[in-house]
Amino acid sequence: MAIGTSSSAIYLQPSTAATSTTQRAPAIVTVHPAALFSILDHFLRRSDSQERVIGTLLGTRTEREVEIRSAFPVLHSETDEQIALDMDYHTQMLEMHHKVAPKEVVVGWYSTGSKLDMYTALIHNYYTNQVAPHQAIHLSVTTGVQGDTPGVKTYVGSPVGAIPKPENCLFVPVPCELRYHDSERSGLDLLANAAKAPNHTVAPQQDLEVLEKSLRDVVDMLDRVLTYVRSVLAGETEGNVAVGRYLMDTLSAATPALDKGRLEQLFNSHLQDTLMMSYLGNLVRSQVEVSSRLALLT
Amino acid sequence: MATSMAAAIAASLPAPTAQAAPTPAPTEIPQSMQKVIDVEAEIPVETVQLDGMVVMKIMKHARDTGSSTATGLLLGIDLDGTLEVSNSFPLPTYGDDDEKGSSRPSGARYQANMLRLIKDVQSDDTVVGFYQSTSMGAFFAQSLVELQAVHQERLRHGGIVIVHDTNQAIRANATFRAFRLTPAYMEALKKDKFGTQSLVKHELIFSRIFAEIPVTIKNSSLLNAFMNTLTTPAPQSSLSANPSILSPPFAALDLDAPSLVTRNLESLLETMEAHKNEESNVAYALRQIAREKAKADAYVAKRKEESAVRVAQGLAPLPEEDVTRLFRIPPEPSRLEGMLLLGQIDGQAKNLDVAASANLVKMYAARAGASSA
Repeated sequence: MAIGTSSSAIYLQPSTAATSTTQRAPAIVTVHPAALFSILDHFLRRSDSQERVIGTLLGTRTEREVEIRSAFPVLHSETDEQIALDMDYHTQMLEMHHKVAPKEVVVGWYSTGSKLDMYTALIHNYYTNQVAPHQAIHLSVTTGVQGDTPGVKTYVGSPVGAIPKPENCLFVPVPCELRYHDSERSGLDLLANAAKAPNHTVAPQQDLEVLEKSLRDVVDMLDRVLTYVRSVLAGETEGNVAVGRYLMDTLSAATPALDKGRLEQLFNSHLQDTLMMSYLGNLVRSQVEVSSRLALLT
Repeated sequence: MATSMAAAIAASLPAPTAQAAPTPAPTEIPQSMQKVIDVEAEIPVETVQLDGMVVMKIMKHARDTGSSTATGLLLGIDLDGTLEVSNSFPLPTYGDDDEKGSSRPSGARYQANMLRLIKDVQSDDTVVGFYQSTSMGAFFAQSLVELQAVHQERLRHGGIVIVHDTNQAIRANATFRAFRLTPAYMEALKKDKFGTQSLVKHELIFSRIFAEIPVTIKNSSLLNAFMNTLTTPAPQSSLSANPSILSPPFAALDLDAPSLVTRNLESLLETMEAHKNEESNVAYALRQIAREKAKADAYVAKRKEESAVRVAQGLAPLPEEDVTRLFRIPPEPSRLEGMLLLGQIDGQAKNLDVAASANLVKMYAARAGASSA
């Protein structure tokens, strides 16, 4: 589930000599959609003179994994000669953020564009000092505005050379995933629907509408598989062994646990419960309605 | 002829100039935008448009806070009857260990600081409302109504409240509903009375406290592009690999976990219990009032009788006395709490009903699937 095109860069563990003092690099970095989207929003609101925007990443850290849960922008100015970060802003924002989500700590920083240069190394050095003894994560978002494919890459920095200097840094890629909770999935679907809709707007749906859509999707998928199987049987296309295996696994796993009589029994008892719930719900609602009207009578 | 003409012109001049004076207003709004930008706040808000980022931020905050309600502010702009919500930030929740007195100012300071910081990065910094998470559809809460009432007084257009149901999100449907308080409620609030008479006068029942505003969701173009990248299959996709990051979801097809239903029922019962308590409180208060009133009336009647007797005996009648000072008649109890609880019950029952109907469909679908297999 890597975001964007896969990177062909080599994944290196930082040299073992250094790990005696520093922590091991995380094996994986996960990004929450809210963090990603606020980075994109920040990029949209940049001033004309800014080529890229940078900001702080907040999240949680476990032994092998860094989870980026939110992000906030940091003001910076960049010229050919120098770079300046508004660290005051960073500190204030961090303080505010901690009041709401005390568990989220600084894990690194983000920038847009895929440029890795001396300034990047300098900023990275700053953030490394911030999060010491852990390693800072650098997340670079290619927005796709400059003609490149949109995507996200994450790096950890490792010092280069016999005498490590802050402006020298080797950015080692770390695999990165989009991570969301199951319940947040529906929100993402909503956004995906909005992206596909003709005028890019969508209204939140009712439960049954969502259900209907899912059922339609399943029917479509079944149709697709059926057409494929028929065409293989008719000899029009060559069967793919992998597909066959998948189909067999899926179909054989689904049914044996439920023999006919038992299913019927389960169904009927559950049906009664559900109808009871529905009845209860309606009953309560009508009672409430009556009660609220009665309150108006004197 | 000429003089009369001049006189006519002179006579006609002041009126047009007086009218024309305010029109060349010191605005730089281009002609084409003048209709949609509403400086005087005349165009009422008809729809609410949520940015994709706000959707995710609200959902994240709602999930992070767990069982307690998550509250945050919405920032944005209103344009031609559409309230565009472009950003949001969560508000800290103050635990019980905070003294009541100190939590308010620090909340206000937090808000002001955050707005300043957000303004620094060229984001919208106009508060247009707030959001609150809820579960089981029971969003009628005193705190929400109070906060919205404050906003409605202070903000342009009164602001809106977005309600997000975490329970629905677990059932794979992200719901966002926008509300504002109805004029009837605001009027009752201004008179600061929710007694029976006031309710009758304003025809206020729970379903008329809030007016719902339709919500649409619109992403920024950049976000749209990114979403499309996420949903299109990767070029080198083979069968074993996930075809796209966002593969079609089937959480909506899962039968509800029994715990979800029982929780719903439990909270419904709890709210009913609370409502019953409230009801008996009100009844008690009403009885108290009736008793005091009866006492006062009996006293007055007795005095009248006495003075009638005295008059008959030729004595001076008893002096008029202020009865209200003698009998403290308690104020009429507020019916608001009870009404809000009714609203909560209604929301929970509706939630139950919707869940049940969706479950019915799923069950029949499962049976059809199993019997055909």
